Amino acid sequence: MAEIKKILIANRGVPAVRVMHTCRDRKIPTVAVYSTPDRLSHHVFVAESAVHIGEAPPIESYLNMEKIINAALQTNCNAIHPGWGFLAENAKFARMVEDAGLIWVGPPPNVISLMGDKIESKKCAIRANVPTIPGTNNVMSVDDIKKWMKDENIDFPVMIKASAGGGGKGMAKVSSDDELSILFAQVKSEAMKSFKDDTVLVEKYIEKGRHIEVQIVADKFGHVLHLYERECTLQRRNQKIIEEAPSPSLTDDLRGEICFTAVRIMREIGYHSAGTVEFIFDSQKSKFYFLEVNTRLQVEHGITELITGLDIVNMMLDLAEDKPLDLRQSDIHPNRWALEVRLNAEDPKNFSPSFGTISRLQIPQGPGVRIAQSIYEGCQIPPYYDSLLMLIMTAGADRDDAIRTMDRVLSRNLRVEGVKTLLPLLLSIIRHKDFKSGNFSTKFIEEHLDELVATFKENTPDDEILKIAKHVAKISALGPQEWM
Amino acid sequence: MEKIFKPGLSPKEIVQRVRTLDGVAITLTGMRDAGQSDFKNRHRIYDLKTLSPFYEDMNLFSSECHGGARWHVGIMNRKEDPFEEIRLLRELMPSVMLQTLIRETNLWGYRPYPKNVIEYVVSAVDIDVWRCFSFLNDIRNMKTVAEVVMKRGRLFQPAISFTQSHWTTNEYYLGVVDDIVDLCAGVNEIVLCIKDMAGVGSPERIRSLVDAIKQKYPELMIQYHRHATDGLALPALLSAAKAGAKILDAEEDSLTRFYGQAPILSLQAYLEESGIKALLNREITEKATEKVREWIGHYEWCESPFKGFDHNVTKHKMPGGAFPSSFEQAEKGGFLHLMPAILRVMSLYNQIVKYFDVTPGSQITWVTCSGIINKYSKAKGEAGVNHVIKLLDKLVEKNNCDFHKMENDEQEELLTLFRNAPGDFKNLILGNYGKLPMGWPDEWVYKSTFGEEWPDKLKERKELSPLDTIKPDDLNKHKEEFEEKTGRKPTEEEFILYLMHPKDAVEFVNFRDEFGETPLVLPTNVWREGLKMPGDKVEFDLWGKPYCIELVSVGSEHEGHIYVVVKVNNSAKVYTIATPRAKKAEIKMAKGANQIGSPINGTIWRIGNPARGSIKAGDIVQKGEEIANIEAMKMENAIVAPFDAVISDVIIKVNDPVQEKQLLFELKPL
Repeated sequence: MAEIKKILIANRGVPAVRVMHTCRDRKIPTVAVYSTPDRLSHHVFVAESAVHIGEAPPIESYLNMEKIINAALQTNCNAIHPGWGFLAENAKFARMVEDAGLIWVGPPPNVISLMGDKIESKKCAIRANVPTIPGTNNVMSVDDIKKWMKDENIDFPVMIKASAGGGGKGMAKVSSDDELSILFAQVKSEAMKSFKDDTVLVEKYIEKGRHIEVQIVADKFGHVLHLYERECTLQRRNQKIIEEAPSPSLTDDLRGEICFTAVRIMREIGYHSAGTVEFIFDSQKSKFYFLEVNTRLQVEHGITELITGLDIVNMMLDLAEDKPLDLRQSDIHPNRWALEVRLNAEDPKNFSPSFGTISRLQIPQGPGVRIAQSIYEGCQIPPYYDSLLMLIMTAGADRDDAIRTMDRVLSRNLRVEGVKTLLPLLLSIIRHKDFKSGNFSTKFIEEHLDELVATFKENTPDDEILKIAKHVAKISALGPQEWM
Repeated sequence: MEKIFKPGLSPKEIVQRVRTLDGVAITLTGMRDAGQSDFKNRHRIYDLKTLSPFYEDMNLFSSECHGGARWHVGIMNRKEDPFEEIRLLRELMPSVMLQTLIRETNLWGYRPYPKNVIEYVVSAVDIDVWRCFSFLNDIRNMKTVAEVVMKRGRLFQPAISFTQSHWTTNEYYLGVVDDIVDLCAGVNEIVLCIKDMAGVGSPERIRSLVDAIKQKYPELMIQYHRHATDGLALPALLSAAKAGAKILDAEEDSLTRFYGQAPILSLQAYLEESGIKALLNREITEKATEKVREWIGHYEWCESPFKGFDHNVTKHKMPGGAFPSSFEQAEKGGFLHLMPAILRVMSLYNQIVKYFDVTPGSQITWVTCSGIINKYSKAKGEAGVNHVIKLLDKLVEKNNCDFHKMENDEQEELLTLFRNAPGDFKNLILGNYGKLPMGWPDEWVYKSTFGEEWPDKLKERKELSPLDTIKPDDLNKHKEEFEEKTGRKPTEEEFILYLMHPKDAVEFVNFRDEFGETPLVLPTNVWREGLKMPGDKVEFDLWGKPYCIELVSVGSEHEGHIYVVVKVNNSAKVYTIATPRAKKAEIKMAKGANQIGSPINGTIWRIGNPARGSIKAGDIVQKGEEIANIEAMKMENAIVAPFDAVISDVIIKVNDPVQEKQLLFELKPL
């Protein structure tokens, strides 16, 4: 059994701070890494010490594997936690960490690489008898697709995906015969450009699908537990922005089925550490299909923690120390409803990123609220990294209760000045009748964007007063103006 | 106590109540013309609204609080919206009739509007009493305003522009009143206003005019609006009342200077002593007068530099409302010393081209006459000024405006006198505003204005009202233009501001977007001068909550910027204020097909593409070829050439942060 004595967090922003919090609970000293523009970032000061690892571009810093491992070795760390994003699902990095004699807080490198390949992971799912979206892997030509559709009795639309793809790249939805050959060629060429691998697969496209995922923890001794599901259907540009647990779309029977299905596949692939199995749920037909396995801590893990009372990062650290799980499935009883919104620094009307200095920050508190943030008043939001400023989670006895609390948080006393944020959009969404009734799909935001924008809340007096103060400042400095 | 005059009454009821009123009622101009005539319209609604609770109980006929130049100065100088003002006053004095002053086809702007604009604008403004005048007394021009106002059930108050001169006889005015009665289908739904905008009507002249109108139209109710410039306002108002005028205009005594209306308390006392009752709560009026003294000191800076009554106004006819602004322009233009000469020229000019000196006529007179004097002054100094006055004096006074009685060389000089006259003067004599009250000016004026082109120009001259000749405006097109200039959808009210004053409305909307409700909540001294010393603070309520802004420090100027620290409800806030010396880091935006703009905010991390390397000006690129890549929040965004082209300019460098739509490349299509 290996004890983590000191740990390097190979990340920045919200994930780095999140992991450091639990490490602090366990009194494990933490080392932060930072790029040049992050020198004064929040995560640097939450850690015990910090190492500069390079310039702004991620490839020179947060994706620079050698520098990160050297930093860990130099600071006498014996473990690395990758957070989420950057190197969290990089099998090569996981292997390098282990080869350097460090503890890798995550699943085994071979599992990461297996699950990183869409075709391979789908094969695993089929072996574990997990329903997968009807599709075919061996696609060399348009005729292959047509033959498959005829044989399996599949109608348009279908989805062509790069086998090595991810993050919304190398994907195309094909709605008719006419588009097929153009889009097939396009995905292949994008796949080649982006992933240097033009293997593609094709699947049936699930209309109005909902995105449901199951949180798994597993130890090295074959114990695989699920921590129930999360619903992450609300996305914009294939990026989640609102998540909740439990899912409002499942019955108890389906919930049991989807959770045990997830356990089955994770056991099949020999998973350990924390991970997530993602499904697409066809709510009209009450059927779910395996999508992929995320071999890391997820952004939205916090809502699972809120409903179960468990600390998933704490469990990851235990599991990395080769401890067995000391819980049984029957010990896990979710008893809350939790909601999470991602407060990104983006223009809420068009998602164009916004960066600059946070000139004012007021973080809402009150009953039922959990905030994970990585910003402070006066800090800079550099343009090089992702736009997540803050995760805001609320929990309540039921869904309405959690939404009410979220409404309170978003509409009172949350102030971020200096950059644009998604706040108005998030508030419009949680106030929308379809969201409240649980009736939405992954296309909800694009379908309702104009309506949502139209209901953006008017300015508050706290916004208005700053305009007045600006005039006072200006005239105090310059005196009466010519135009007066 | 039941109010006799209040919003919601039909025009018929109002007229009936005026007829049966024992004595006279008063329109208080404290919220508009008083400020326009002596304080350049700078009185802020922040201060004026403190009078509303008093107005509510004063028993006024109406409060003139809107229109004239207050609208334009509001958006331009005070950054106040006339619609916002009406809403505020309605709330604070719900039982007072609100009155506007509107310039027939010019509305509250400075160009004749087509019928569709007039209908659109007049329908949108919540005013009870609509005083409408024509600087030409061309009643045809009032038609559309009258129709819309009367259809809405609001009181239409047609005004005759009054001046005292040999050509403005009772007979002339009765003709104008005939036109008005025709237009308004009788006398039962209107109140006629005699608009003595310069304050020139002698008591006897006014008595005679009111009497003549009353004899012809005994049932027509008359209101006398008069400025005080000649020093004879009170006796003239009394004689109007004695002759049968039922409503008089006045302002708070503490607001009176020289060019506005008569003092209300003095007027009331004077009327009562003469046996005419004034419908007015004296006690509350005294309180309003006192209230004014609390804030009027903040407006000393905008009082006219020309002080004192001026009986010579009977000659030069400059209207009270134009006094402060004309002197201000003269001061700014550095020709204040020429004012006596300009006023003298005005008194001669108005006998050559006959109309009434009130907007837009007063501006035409002002620009034309100050232009003539300035030209002569620049060319020949004082001698030149004296020379042109002598020339005009000879033409007008000695030769009774007969051009042919002048010597040859004098004629030649007169034939260039108007060559530099403003465009609006040309429009005026070409009939673009309507018919001139005494007919077109003499032929030599056209020769003087247009030179050799004069016969052609004369053929263009219109006899019809602009209402009949101006083509409808495309409102959607105007709206799109406005939207383009401000970058957002305007409200209906903002759009109306734009229709009146396009340039100033854009600046107004931008100001309010940037500074919000500042003009409504800041006390006047802070609004205009800011906070002076560290520790000075200003406290006020905003949307139901208390706020405090305190000055912490004003830094010294560095490279055109001053850092100002203020505390907003005890939290420090730093503002970087650009001084006029600040260098503008200009960011060009892409326009048109040949300029390539950034699709997003981000950082240029590559110019060119991996296949060919960097790209520079002069390189040829193919349609679809990547020419740069922008990174934002980890996502790469390729910029591709939209067509085969030569790169004519590369505006950005690698690692430049760029804004959405910022110009990146200029291309020349192949």
